[in-house]
Amino acid sequence: MQPAIMMKNIKKVYPDGVIALRGVSLEVMPGEIHGLLGENGAGKTTLMRILYGEIKPSSGEIWVFGRKVSFRGPWDAIKAGIGMVYQKFALVQSFTVMDNIMLSVSSINRKATYSDVANSAKRLMKKTGLEVPLDAVVEDLPVGIQQRVEILKTLLRNAKVLILDEPTSVLTPVEAEELFKTLKSLREMGIVVIFITHKLKEVMEVTDRITVLRKGRVVGTVKTSETTPAELAKMMVGREVFLKIERPPAIAGNTVLKVKDVWVKDDRGLDAVRGVTLEVREGEILGIAGVQGNGQTELAEAVAGLRPVAKGKIYVGDIDVTDKPTSFRYRIGLAYVPDSRSVGLVMDMNITENVILTNLLSVLSRYRKIRWGYAREVAHRVVKGFDVITPSLSAPIKYLSGGNQQKVMVGREIVREPKAFVVAEPTHGLDVGATEFIRKTLASLKTKGKAIMLISTDLDEILQLSDRIAVMYEGKVMAVGPASEFTLERLGLLMGGVSGE
Amino acid sequence: MSKEVRIRYAHYLTIVLELAISAVTGFMAGAIILWSLGYNPWYIYGIMISMGISNPDYLLSKATPLLLTGLAFSVPMLAGVFNIGGEGQLYIGAITSLVIAYYTGNAVLALLGGFLAGAALGGAIGALKAFRDVNEVVSAIMLNWILYFSILYLIVDKLYNPLMPQQSVPVPPSAQIGIIPFPGGGIHGIFFIAVVAALVTHYLIYYTDLGYVLRVSGLSPKSASYAGFNPKKSIVYSMIIGGGLAGLGGALLIQGYVHSIDTTMSTLYGLGFLGIGVGLLGWNNPLGIILSSVFFAMLIIGGEMVELTAGAPPELADTIIGIIVIALALPYAYKILINYVRRWRERI
Repeated sequence: MQPAIMMKNIKKVYPDGVIALRGVSLEVMPGEIHGLLGENGAGKTTLMRILYGEIKPSSGEIWVFGRKVSFRGPWDAIKAGIGMVYQKFALVQSFTVMDNIMLSVSSINRKATYSDVANSAKRLMKKTGLEVPLDAVVEDLPVGIQQRVEILKTLLRNAKVLILDEPTSVLTPVEAEELFKTLKSLREMGIVVIFITHKLKEVMEVTDRITVLRKGRVVGTVKTSETTPAELAKMMVGREVFLKIERPPAIAGNTVLKVKDVWVKDDRGLDAVRGVTLEVREGEILGIAGVQGNGQTELAEAVAGLRPVAKGKIYVGDIDVTDKPTSFRYRIGLAYVPDSRSVGLVMDMNITENVILTNLLSVLSRYRKIRWGYAREVAHRVVKGFDVITPSLSAPIKYLSGGNQQKVMVGREIVREPKAFVVAEPTHGLDVGATEFIRKTLASLKTKGKAIMLISTDLDEILQLSDRIAVMYEGKVMAVGPASEFTLERLGLLMGGVSGE
Repeated sequence: MSKEVRIRYAHYLTIVLELAISAVTGFMAGAIILWSLGYNPWYIYGIMISMGISNPDYLLSKATPLLLTGLAFSVPMLAGVFNIGGEGQLYIGAITSLVIAYYTGNAVLALLGGFLAGAALGGAIGALKAFRDVNEVVSAIMLNWILYFSILYLIVDKLYNPLMPQQSVPVPPSAQIGIIPFPGGGIHGIFFIAVVAALVTHYLIYYTDLGYVLRVSGLSPKSASYAGFNPKKSIVYSMIIGGGLAGLGGALLIQGYVHSIDTTMSTLYGLGFLGIGVGLLGWNNPLGIILSSVFFAMLIIGGEMVELTAGAPPELADTIIGIIVIALALPYAYKILINYVRRWRERI
């Protein structure tokens, strides 16, 4: 049988030299739901955006239904029968469903009339079970229904191949079940579905075959009926032996940071953290592993006081800080290093001004004047102590490399001498040297008796540094225990939502 | 020379170069328009500049309200708020100062009243934005007009001068601000007060925790929240300061220069809007705004003189002023607008 989609030896090198895909081949057969599985940064989305004509591959061939294609843009892909639904929907929020559908159809068929499109939409809804209220305004609809509108829109443009990028990440479990039913009925209609995900349970439930990507390469393609979650997890995370940096033994003392049955909502109002209970003690690193978007960021923000806690309690030392503002938590010894440097740093300010961002109180005079001389001294201490390479303290921080920015962000917290650190993705996007420096710094903080909560999607980092590990999946802690209890394979399973025994 | 100092010099040099290139471009573009309309650009520019500075007392009096409405625009801008309401804040400061001056005859009380009235109005606009998500541009423009007509009503119906019904009651001499004598001349009191206000603002913005928090909130609201600052408070505080400064501008204008408001409002109208140009031209820096307000006043006075001496239509002078100011403010205004749009997208 001729494959519906054939991608041959696709390579993608971005202009800045980042290699996203190192020769990926993919075959998707007609009438199947094909899962595309991999960790963050494995190249799943890049591959699909190439198929959708949105980015051009550096080399490689693409065949759609037996025809070799070279898309100049998504419009070419749409004409060839390929449709894609992103995590972020492309809907005009203040328009009705029908207006949105009309907008999308008229882009490929200018002669389409409103009533024709409405009729074919109704027919398609009946056939697929994708019921949506055509007259409702999009922003009033729940996310699950908005996603249906997106799928409907794509199908009305005669898509034969439907690409879904992490479709369940925005859905509640019930909505996800609905989506799976829809996908199965689409398969009956002969529509090919490519399903991008990192969730093991979902690929096992809904797909026919699975291709696993890791670091820009295909690890393998397997039939869903012939594989197990354990095997998939191994394919997903299995890797060359990594360097073990010296890990000083933990001499854990009193509990410094405690999170008790905490529930937190995300920006959309959905439960992102669902009943998490954790403790971090003096002199230990608690690593929180998990695929991005499983509630870790929301948890960190709740601990720092940047996001309200819907239910539960947070303690720093013995003090209940659940309802206390961020500034109070910092004052009593909490430090937070966020995962995004554009949040932690003011890019248009210079190094001194950025160093005092979280040290403002200590550089104020009695009359609330900023003692700039002393501020520069503190900044100088950070720059010297953490090997920040910069021409001057007056240089805007945006001109520093990512690694040096990260050092400023970590260093200015350390000079405050807090008791507890919440550190999110401290080495994301850094080169090997900077990564090693930051990790060594964290390890040495531990030996100085600090309590550290390390949130990272990088499993190497978690395994290298953590004394105890907690794995988060869909807002819950799947497992928590001493690092020795976790193998790579078990971590992979837990991160994919399978509590392996 | 240390590296530190070299970088600072390079920074200043960039600013000077940018300004020089902008100035040349602006004057050249203006010259082309003048020339194409049959005027001699050198003659017109000559009049504008020489006449503009010929009467320093007039120049500085003219610059005073501009200096304060310039600050009124720039302080909120540094905190990420677009204060287009300097106009209304100037009105309310002017009328409050006039009323207090008329009834008490106390200059200090009148100035204070003008400042507080402006601050209250600015604070209200800021609070609407911070706590009710009302766009500050919309509410400020609406308030500008509400105040415009309310004050007009007051002047025409309640506070008119029985001897000269085309204008309001005057500020009594005891509440007027005159020349402060200095050895070797003197300086107009209102300009002196305005410069002090600018220096205090500069200190507030660059040397106190409040100013630092405002600047962080303006440049990156997310970083402000992360650091434990409250960006909503920053919005309100910046508008209180900005509104107060514009109100003070109105009070100074009334007490130190025009002494009454005419029933066409021509003494007040437009000064708040000009403040936006003054603030941008001064790169939102209080010290820069001192210079830009004087420069602006020079162009305005010079423009009036061009009308009188060269017989050019008033629109011509305005056009030339507009071109020069836009050219000078453009590099900085561009950065500010980009930042404002980015901030709006982030929607704190």
